[in-house]
Amino acid sequence: MSSRVAGLGVGLVFGVGLSWSGLTSPDVIRQALLFESSYLFLVFASAVLVAAVGLALLRRSEMRALLTRAPVNWTPERPAHRHIAGSALFGVGWGIADACPGPIATQVGQGIAWGLFTFAGVVFGVYLFLRRNQPETEPAIDAPVTRDVRMRVTPATR
Amino acid sequence: MLHPQLAWYIAGPVLGLCVVACRALFNARLGVTGGYSEIIGRLREGQLAFDWRGWFLIGVVLGGGLYALAAGGPDFHGYGWLTAHLHGSAQAAIAPILLAAGVLIGYGAKLAGGCTSGNGLSGTAMFSPASLAATATFFATAIVVSFLIEAVVS
Repeated sequence: MSSRVAGLGVGLVFGVGLSWSGLTSPDVIRQALLFESSYLFLVFASAVLVAAVGLALLRRSEMRALLTRAPVNWTPERPAHRHIAGSALFGVGWGIADACPGPIATQVGQGIAWGLFTFAGVVFGVYLFLRRNQPETEPAIDAPVTRDVRMRVTPATR
Repeated sequence: MLHPQLAWYIAGPVLGLCVVACRALFNARLGVTGGYSEIIGRLREGQLAFDWRGWFLIGVVLGGGLYALAAGGPDFHGYGWLTAHLHGSAQAAIAPILLAAGVLIGYGAKLAGGCTSGNGLSGTAMFSPASLAATATFFATAIVVSFLIEAVVS
């Protein structure tokens, strides 16, 4: 089985799970964030619990990943400023749209037209980040230089 | 017709097992934002060959479609507080609001190194201090924003 097929399969299960649980619905998310319903928190907590137990067992088994053959292991990451700043921005968007990247994708899959706007926003946000943080992949852009030249030229030609 | 909503004790473990599956198959962290990033990054380079993370996101979208087919339609109609409180000409504001929220979500998740799945589910289950800090931050911010919206619209 190729990695791509496996990724597609896990994604299908994840997408059906998000949809069938109702976490795709902005009303379900909003009720949780206003503490009117415990459903999201119960799903979230039980998901983390199952994942934590499963990951601990995998790590203890010292197995190799089935498809990549990499030893199963990970190192904990220290909190940095970007984790807080990025999550604050993310939380504002999540509180407004009541959907995060997974449910936004399942909304589009379900054919919910409003989801297309949020989806387009996420795509643009990720694109902005990639553009800002991979300067080496960008072709040389002379726009800022042109502006400098114009600013210098304008007084001289006056 | 599917049952309208899975019980939390089924939905949660299913999502948690997806996290375990990504670790067992790829020794990788499950994260939906990683899928967006993979696809957008490749498209920028003019490539269409995505790695498993790209195909994972395609799977999530198709999973939504599969659910809608089985359930005989989407899970909900309208769009939450936006269509409930914005009427008439004010509805024209919904699209730009969702677009702007999406930009914050996409840029913020990339800056933080993960979203609700990458930091919230996977990173928390890995007991990563960075993910715990990120998760506490986005839950707190989203709760404050929700109560602010509630105060304004009601």
